[in-house]
Amino acid sequence: MEEPRTIARHLPLTEATFYILLALLEEQHGYAIMQDAETMSEGTVKLGPGTLYGALTTLEGSKLIRKVGQEQRRKIYAITDLGKQVLQAQMKRYGIMLGSARRKWTTTADADQLEV
Amino acid sequence: METTRIRKFKWFWAWQDEREEVWLQEMAAQGYYLEDPRFPGVYDFVRGEPSETIYRLDFPYTSGQDFESYLQLFADAGWDYVGSMGGWQYFRKKVQAGETAEIFTDVESKIKKYHRLMAYLTIFLPIWIALSPDHIDRFAPWFGITVTILYTALMLMLVTAMLMLFRRIQELKAKMK
Repeated sequence: MEEPRTIARHLPLTEATFYILLALLEEQHGYAIMQDAETMSEGTVKLGPGTLYGALTTLEGSKLIRKVGQEQRRKIYAITDLGKQVLQAQMKRYGIMLGSARRKWTTTADADQLEV
Repeated sequence: METTRIRKFKWFWAWQDEREEVWLQEMAAQGYYLEDPRFPGVYDFVRGEPSETIYRLDFPYTSGQDFESYLQLFADAGWDYVGSMGGWQYFRKKVQAGETAEIFTDVESKIKKYHRLMAYLTIFLPIWIALSPDHIDRFAPWFGITVTILYTALMLMLVTAMLMLFRRIQELKAKMK
């Protein structure tokens, strides 16, 4: 396990980066990541190729992902152990956010108005 | 006979990439499509059917095999590669009327593009300092003066470009808040 500080250094992840890491729990090339991210996010996260290419370069540089193969001109990536730890740390933060939002809402506003 | 190609001379500064994108889109709407750009300020167009075509410019750091996979990613995402000029990569995509398309889908990555551009311009600073007119003065007075004027003009351009790019980045950062 990495030091908590090493992990916290990468947080918070942008929405784009979060979905890229999530997609890379499976080995995939760039375009598959785009499609996966769009499906998983129910269409809320669309990754442009410029954004994705830049993010892949940065993530590879900080060792959250690594190149595992090549399919013609397409590079195939996978998440690393460090990447998984960072992803989990972010998931934990999202869990805290959602939990606190629900609690606050139900104790201070009409609970039946809460739709999420 | 109808002209199938036209050449236009137009100048865009490093910080005017979005203005250039809009202009290329307007040209396509009139049926003129940019051909492989080669020289700054010179644009060759080929006549075709007018269409709604979005142009986008990137300024990546890539080379060799990385560049191949970079282009592949854009192709997979439906962007046609037009060509490159001075480190800029030109892409276009045909869309439905009123639709738009982006190669950068968040502000963070757009800012990074301008950071790369600024870093690239910064590389020139030491070169300019090394070429400072002090070293050239000994040839002839008129030569020294001419070089000094040219040098100052180029330095001013470089500094202006840096300041304008810095401003673009600040505007984008303000959008994130």
